[in-house]
Amino acid sequence: MDSEMKMSESESMQLITSMINKAKNFYGETGLFYLIWGWVILFCCLTSFVTVYFFKNQNGNLVWLLIYLVLIFQVIYNRRIKRFQRTRTYTRDINGFVWITFFICLMLTIFICSAFKRYEMINPLLLVAYGMPTFLSGIIIKFKPLIIGGIFCWLMAFISPFININYQVLLIAAAVIAAWIIPGHLLRYKYKSEIAGKNFGNGF
Amino acid sequence: MDFKELDPILHSQLRLAVMSLLISVKEAEFTFLKEKTNATSGNLSVQISKLKEAGYIEITKQFNNNYPQTICKITPKGVLAFENYVKALQSYMRL
Repeated sequence: MDSEMKMSESESMQLITSMINKAKNFYGETGLFYLIWGWVILFCCLTSFVTVYFFKNQNGNLVWLLIYLVLIFQVIYNRRIKRFQRTRTYTRDINGFVWITFFICLMLTIFICSAFKRYEMINPLLLVAYGMPTFLSGIIIKFKPLIIGGIFCWLMAFISPFININYQVLLIAAAVIAAWIIPGHLLRYKYKSEIAGKNFGNGF
Repeated sequence: MDFKELDPILHSQLRLAVMSLLISVKEAEFTFLKEKTNATSGNLSVQISKLKEAGYIEITKQFNNNYPQTICKITPKGVLAFENYVKALQSYMRL
């Protein structure tokens, strides 16, 4: 790009539009946390279902404590990555707040259901909660698989009252596959393709 | 009809490209600007220095694991200059 090249008014306007579009399409979304959370929750769902349903062992539910380990890992990882990735976009910040809101709502939902001993309400409400940030993230980063994933969570939430409580954990498993694992892999693929494109000097 | 003069600091291809990128993000690293504008490091350094001298952007230099990092951020003065530039462009284009 020539720094002192004279431009006509329309060329200037085209340049502004093209640069704004380039910045707008930069999300730096690697899909990593959709994959980590997706696979961890899927593992927890299946492990707790198998141990509780087939072996009648309630200790299987302890597997959910894994979530706290992942949470600690995420906090440490985010702090570390923040120092490296210094291009901050407004969309990325908003998306971050959406997931913080989700996490707070999730914790409050579990706390309130537990306090009122309405354990049968936890899974359906979790499905409602999963749909919100997934759908919004899809809208914010304009990524259809996340939008579809969010809607799928709500669909699972809708049918959950008609499903036996013992099987509801399988609805969560289905929801995380559709909402986080599949979109996570697609985001990862997209991210890696962009990196490869840059390495071959294709630009944007 | 009143025509506003086009800001000479902004009426240059690379500087305008940098300002257009910076108006769209909160802050950006030098490498991000280089990659999006396809400019050379030397040329980009000179142009962002000019933008800094005009008070349109802020530059923060830091080290990250022994690697130098240059972070650029548009200032309120820069936002105003950019808005005025776009308004001036629009007035010319309505001719």
